[in-house]
Parts: sequence; C-alpha cells; structure tokens
Amino acid sequence: MKKQVSLIVLAAALMMSLSACGGSGGKAETAGQGGGSGSEKTLRFATWDTGDALKIEQDIAKKFEESHPGTKVQVEAYADGFDQKLAAGFGAANPPDVMYMWDFPTYHQSLEPLDSYADKDKDLNIDDFYKGLFNYGKIDGTLYGIPAGFTTRVVYYNKKLFDEAGVPHPKDGWTWPEFQEMAGKLTDKSKKQYGFGVRAENDTYDLQGFVWSNGSSFISPDGKTIDGYMNSKETAEAIQMFGDMVKNGSAVLTGGKGQQSGDDIFKAGKIAMWESGIWPLESFRQAGVDVGTVEMPAFPGKPVKGVLAESALSIAKDSKQKDLAWEFIKFYVSDASIKMRVADLPVRQSVVTELKKDQDPLYKPYYTMLERSDNTPAFLLNPKWNEVNRQLSAAVESVMHGSNAQDVLNQAVKDSERYMK
Amino acid sequence: MAQTYLHPAREQSAALKALKKRRRGGAAPYLFIFPWIFGFLVFTLGPLLFSLVISFFDWPIVGKVTFIGLGNYVEMFTDDPLFWKSLMVTLKFAVLFVPLNIIVALGLAMLLNQKVRGSAIFRTAFYLPSVISGVALAMIWSWVYSGDYGILNYFLSIFGIQGPDWLNDTKWSLVAMVVASLWGQGSMMLIFLAGLKGIPKDLYESASIDGAGKLRQFVSVTVPMITPTILFNLITSIIAAFQQLTLALLLTGGGPMKATYFYAMYMYENAFKYFKMGYSAANAWFMFLIVLTLTFLVFKSSEAWVFYEGEMKRGPQKKPKPAKGGRVG
Repeated sequence: MKKQVSLIVLAAALMMSLSACGGSGGKAETAGQGGGSGSEKTLRFATWDTGDALKIEQDIAKKFEESHPGTKVQVEAYADGFDQKLAAGFGAANPPDVMYMWDFPTYHQSLEPLDSYADKDKDLNIDDFYKGLFNYGKIDGTLYGIPAGFTTRVVYYNKKLFDEAGVPHPKDGWTWPEFQEMAGKLTDKSKKQYGFGVRAENDTYDLQGFVWSNGSSFISPDGKTIDGYMNSKETAEAIQMFGDMVKNGSAVLTGGKGQQSGDDIFKAGKIAMWESGIWPLESFRQAGVDVGTVEMPAFPGKPVKGVLAESALSIAKDSKQKDLAWEFIKFYVSDASIKMRVADLPVRQSVVTELKKDQDPLYKPYYTMLERSDNTPAFLLNPKWNEVNRQLSAAVESVMHGSNAQDVLNQAVKDSERYMK
Repeated sequence: MAQTYLHPAREQSAALKALKKRRRGGAAPYLFIFPWIFGFLVFTLGPLLFSLVISFFDWPIVGKVTFIGLGNYVEMFTDDPLFWKSLMVTLKFAVLFVPLNIIVALGLAMLLNQKVRGSAIFRTAFYLPSVISGVALAMIWSWVYSGDYGILNYFLSIFGIQGPDWLNDTKWSLVAMVVASLWGQGSMMLIFLAGLKGIPKDLYESASIDGAGKLRQFVSVTVPMITPTILFNLITSIIAAFQQLTLALLLTGGGPMKATYFYAMYMYENAFKYFKMGYSAANAWFMFLIVLTLTFLVFKSSEAWVFYEGEMKRGPQKKPKPAKGGRVG
C-alpha cells in the first residue's frame, strides 16, 4: 500500500510541477512587459541581425544600461525567423518594446506613431539625418520608424582579376553593355572563374534599382496597376540581361541550395564583379581581396537609379514603457552609437563628415548611389505587394534558370491581377 | 485485510487507511493518464478544432479577423494557381515515393531476415538514419547533392558522368527529394522485419517440399503472409508523403522554380510567411480530406488483397497458398 501512496504522491507532484511551470512562465511575462516592481526595468529589443552586427547592437545596449541605471535591455536576436517571431509577438499582444523594422505596410497598425515624440524632442536633431531616409518609415504621412542604418548597392570588383585579364578598372558613369563586355573578358572557364555572379534567388526589392534605371518600375506610381509596369519591355529587358549572362557563361548562379553564396565566391576570387550593399565589404577586406567599389552601370542614355535598404527602429503599440523605449531609440541613433555601427552606413550627415566617409574612394560610391535613390519601392505603394511579389519572385527565378523574361512576367501579372482589385 | 498485517506501517491512522483504500483503483489510474489526456485535449484536439474554425475566417496575425464563410475554400479552388501546382508536386512525389519506399523497406527487411553473422550490426546501421533528426538529414543530403563538391557527382565523375546540380535542376530536384526521403525509413523496415519473422517456418518447408523455388516461395508464401504489414506501411507511407515538409524546407526551399514546392510547404508558407492563418487552415483541412479519402480507399481495397491468418478459422477465404502448409503438416 505504501508503494501506491508514493505513486499517487508522485503523480500529484508531477501535476504540481506542470502547473508550477505555467505559473512561473506567467510571472516572467509580466516582469518582462511591465517591469512594474520598480527595482529593475527590462526593455525588450528585437533585431534580425546575427554575428558581428548583433555583437555591435549588444554593445550599444550595454552602453545604454550603463547610462540608465536600473534598466536592463534584453536583446532578442530573431535572425531568419524575425517576421514569424515578431508577428507571433504582436498576435499574442506580447511584442518586444523596441524592434528593427522595414516592412511598415504590414506592421504599421501594431506600431506606435512617433511624430509626437520626434517633434517635442529637440535632442534627436532630425535635420542631421539624410533627407529621404524618413520616407521609408512613413505610412500615409505618419512616422512609425526612426532610421538607424542604411545601405545603397554598388558593384564590387576584384582589382587583381581585372589586372590579370588586362581589363581597365570600371569607373562611375559606365554602362551595362560595357559591364557585360568586361564580364565576358574576365571569364575563364578553365579556372572556374566568372565575370559576375547572379543570385539564384533574388530579392525583387534589390532588382528595383535596375528596373528604375531602365526607366520602368514594378508598379504604377499610384500603386494600383502592375500591367504595363511589372511586365513592361524595360522591366523584362533589365531582368533578362542577368538571365542572358548566366546562359552565355559570363556569370555564374550563386547562392542556390547547396551552392556557395556570391559573397563567398567573390572572397575566393572566382568572380570578378559582385553586386551588393555594404554588408560584405568588411569581410572582403578581411579575406584579403583587393576590392574596389563603383556605382551601378547605366542603361545607355538613361540615368542610374539606386535602391535603398534601410533598417529603422519602431516601438510597439502594446509596449507598457514607451518613454523608456523612446529613450533607447534616441540613444541608438546618437552620434556615439552610430559610430559603433560599422556594418552599415551612418544615418547622420555630421558623423559622415566627421569620419570623412564620403571622401574615402571605397565608400564614395555608396553616397553617389544615395543621391540616385529617390524612387519609391513597390512594397510601400500597395498593401498587397507581398502577394504580388510571390508571383514576381517566381518569375524572376525562372528567368535566371533560362526562361524568357517577357513571357514569365506576363504570366506573373496575370496571376497577380486578383490582388490588384 | 490480510495485507494490513503484512504492512510495516501499522501505526498509520485508520482514517488514512480508509482514504488509501478508497483511492485504490479509483482516481489513481486517471491521475496517471491525466498528463496525456491533458496534452491531447490542449495540444492536439483543441488546435485541431480551432483550425477548422479559423479556416472560415480571414485571419491575419496582425490586423482584423473577419468571417468569410467558405471564402478561403472558394479562393483555393478557383483563384490560386499555386494551390494546384503544389498539389500536383505532392501527388508526383507520392506516386514515386510510396511504392519505392515499400519496395526498399521490404528488400532491406528480407536481407536482414537472412541468418548471417552480424545481422544485428546491419540492423542497427540501417535503422540509424531514422534516429537522425530531419534537419541533420537535410544537411547531409545537401552535401551529397552539391553540384560542384558533392560526393554523388564525384562518384559519377569516376565513371566519366557529369552529374547535374541535383537540387538546382528542375528535372532532378524532385527525384533527389524522393531518394533523400527513402533514406530515413528504418522503422518501416523494422515493421516488415517483424512481419517476416512472424511467418511460420513450416510454410517454407512444405513449399520447398512441393518444389517451390525461392521466387515462388516469396510470391506465394512471404507476400500473402505479410499483406497486413504491407497495408499498414502503405497507409503510413501515403500519409508521410503528403506531409513531407522538413526536407523541402531545408533541402530546396521548394525550388528550383517550384519543382519541389510541396503542398505542405505551400500551406506552411501561407501561414508563416504570408500570415494567412485562415487560408492555410483551409489548405490543411483539404489535405486532411485527401489523406482521409486515400486511406479509406486503401482500406476498402484491402478486403481484396490483405490476408489475415485469423480468417482461416472462419472458413475458406481467397488466399489458398498458405493453406498448403496445413495440407502437408
């Protein structure tokens, strides 16, 4: 009988521990959200960055803790699962207080409007920010995000490979036909060396720069029409160009499943030119590549246009400590913090002038491209863009695998029309 | 209460004893199954029914929830080319995967059923892949299939064959997925092995006395005797084929050009990439209906081809072959 009693006790203990788990979980949640006890406040900050960029962000958070005694910043690195985790947080009304943000059309309903904060806070010194950066964080004229960092896209080239092939280095003001010719000359199949790398899976957002440069866009300026834009002759031409380069062998497909990423192939000296934002620059230098940067080529007779990738900071509408969150954002975009952020470009002009970044030939192209980045990206123009983009991405992918751009874009427009009603 | 005398804890109060007695066989069993029942209700049945409910709603994670009746189902069938595309990919996969899976598992089980030294080692070796998590399995196969550095293409190059870039080639990626999926089938093999071990030896003996060769023994004794096992494995294979997600997600991401965009992946992306929870739930319930129908059809057909030993006692049935054993013995 004793045995039986102890078994019952065991079962009861199991149940107790089960319910205890639920209880303590609940407590942790309140502590995380409200910090009501007064002794120590915890601010939750969600980021999509990993590796070195994440390390920098953790350092900034530490500095903030030092200057704000009694505050703890919990840096939550969501990495690839950023959207899922953030959406789940909003769905459960338990989001992080401060978060990285770029997809404002999707999330703005759950974000705190920041105009009133920005207006009454003179320390922020809005005029010091690069003009235009704020446009990315606005929906219907309301500000939801403070820019924290950005990058434009440039062409990287491997000087050694150019010299070996006897090809003169590219210069600002070059054109796509020149680019293609160079890529052909820099290709050496016997060494598995290619002129350029084309991503197997492109983010259509990044391709917009090329489409704009060719005088078209994915969607009409009012965001209501895609027919005649997404499938225009110019759009198709810009995308077909890359498909053709893969077909004629002057470019190699990179970053497909089980394939090396373009960054890695460039580092290994197997592609002479590569197109990207500022993110890999530091790693190229560390890998010992003699790397140069140059602005994007032009379509003959048309102005070059660029696309901006911006990360902003937002506050959740459900946050219980919005003032503290705002303090953190201000700290995050202060001169001192921005100088710590070497993984992307400074958002403040004063910092750029002080560090003489725009004088450095390696950095200069990013700033010339910034002047060329004044088009509005498609996702800001139509709330259903994610759905349309699903078709567009598939179309672009099939171009890189050899399909005719005009045909698949026509099909993508047809398949997307139901979202445009 | 003879037990009480044997019990060392005699000093316990009568009330406590009474309590113990009442509990005995009363609440205790329920207490023990409570954690499972609780888990089943809260984590399985609850979400299951909830998903049926949300399939009638436009249910984004962020934003307003609106009731749209059968809207999701209508959109799925009439307005979404990806729905049909992914369904076709899954059907193609199932048609390739299910028969191969059963043949390979049965083949391995028959090999293991031989009386050779070290068969336990082989059994462990063949079962090992099932222990590995799907993620690790995907990593291994992505190395094997790599176009430039993969071991598979290296192996082919020895014979002068230039292998394709398996995972990035629209023609080969689905085949590559089928092969990778076949690899982790240890449990199915074990079930077959158990079935094979359950066949009485005398059946084979009498068959060989009757002059049946190995092949004839396989066709006339082995296969009929393990038809119940085949039925079980067939159904689990079909379900597994329709639910294949891990490998698609990790090995190809559905690509290239949606060549491996399984229905489960389509469903997953609707829910967790595009946050259309209601639509995705509708997708899921349609898949449930497909699997249910297929399972039902297989069960129906099983009356014609599955042989249960128990049926022998109720009188003569279709399969006469195993009766041979009875005649001789």
